[in-house]
Amino acid sequence: MSTEPRLLRSRMLPFVLLLLTGCVSPPEPPENLLAPSEEQMRLRNMQTRTFDVSDRDQAIRAVIAALQDLGFIIERANEPLGLVTAARFAEPRWVDVVGVTVTVRPQGAGQMMIRANAIFNNEPITDAQVYQNFFATLERSLFVGRN
Amino acid sequence: MKRQGRRVGAVAVSSIGLLLAACSTPTNPAQLFQLSSDSAARRASETRRFETPDEAELLSASAAVLQDLGFQVTESVRELGFLRAAKERSARERGQEIWRSVIFTISTLGLVTGSNTLILVPVDLHQQINASLVTRRADTDAYEVRILFYRVVWQTDGISGDQAIPPGQQRLERIQDPVLYQQFFARLSKAVFLEAHKI
Repeated sequence: MSTEPRLLRSRMLPFVLLLLTGCVSPPEPPENLLAPSEEQMRLRNMQTRTFDVSDRDQAIRAVIAALQDLGFIIERANEPLGLVTAARFAEPRWVDVVGVTVTVRPQGAGQMMIRANAIFNNEPITDAQVYQNFFATLERSLFVGRN
Repeated sequence: MKRQGRRVGAVAVSSIGLLLAACSTPTNPAQLFQLSSDSAARRASETRRFETPDEAELLSASAAVLQDLGFQVTESVRELGFLRAAKERSARERGQEIWRSVIFTISTLGLVTGSNTLILVPVDLHQQINASLVTRRADTDAYEVRILFYRVVWQTDGISGDQAIPPGQQRLERIQDPVLYQQFFARLSKAVFLEAHKI
């Protein structure tokens, strides 16, 4: 006999909770939704590096070579826009995917600004070490040339 | 008796799952952009050097060789010396099919005890073989051609006890067979009347 009200109560609870959630007004979007945050600035800084190279073509080709050396498959390249898109599976676990988009843009005389955006399983990589590693390989590809 | 059979089935399924999980260690993203110890060897097997100042000729000959090998060119950027090509093929393998039916037969034994332990392992069904090719100046009058063959494989559906595994699971892998690379470069060097030098 005593178990019956308890059973009833446990069945009522979800409904009560459902009713309560209905009373809560939807959250207001924050005012600074599209404003650049400190986090974004930090990410952009670690993703960007400037190199003393005057030839844009040479820079893009060095990016391609560096990505190939790192085991990436070049998927797309666009010379007029200085874009390179590549992807690879994180061996030996092939379920993890890494994607990267690199842009090469001239900046001032004899300088190229290179920015790399890396994604790991659809999540942006925010680890500074990853970008340092990439730029180290790119530097070798750019200046040591035929490493 | 019935309950025991079900428990044995559950243990079998979970231990197989555990075995599969053990095959893969989690990836550390910090290591992803580091050169691996075999990157130089891979580079050597994927690259050949041609003594020619004519990059466009090398690129169009590469496209022709890929066409001869049954590929369709899907992307080309002359300014960067970049080509990508693909071809679709069946990925069925007899070994996998036999393995699938052996596992299935063993798993039906569980039905005797009344528990659902059916296991139908998904096998490879269809594949897209891709080639990504890049030319780069090596010297004043020499170019390097680097090609990477890789494939995307789609799997069939399967069953694991009460759960159905939907078809279409994908995986991507580099094709490592050195013979394929040698064949490609042999054909390319014939097409441009030049010797392909190892780097």
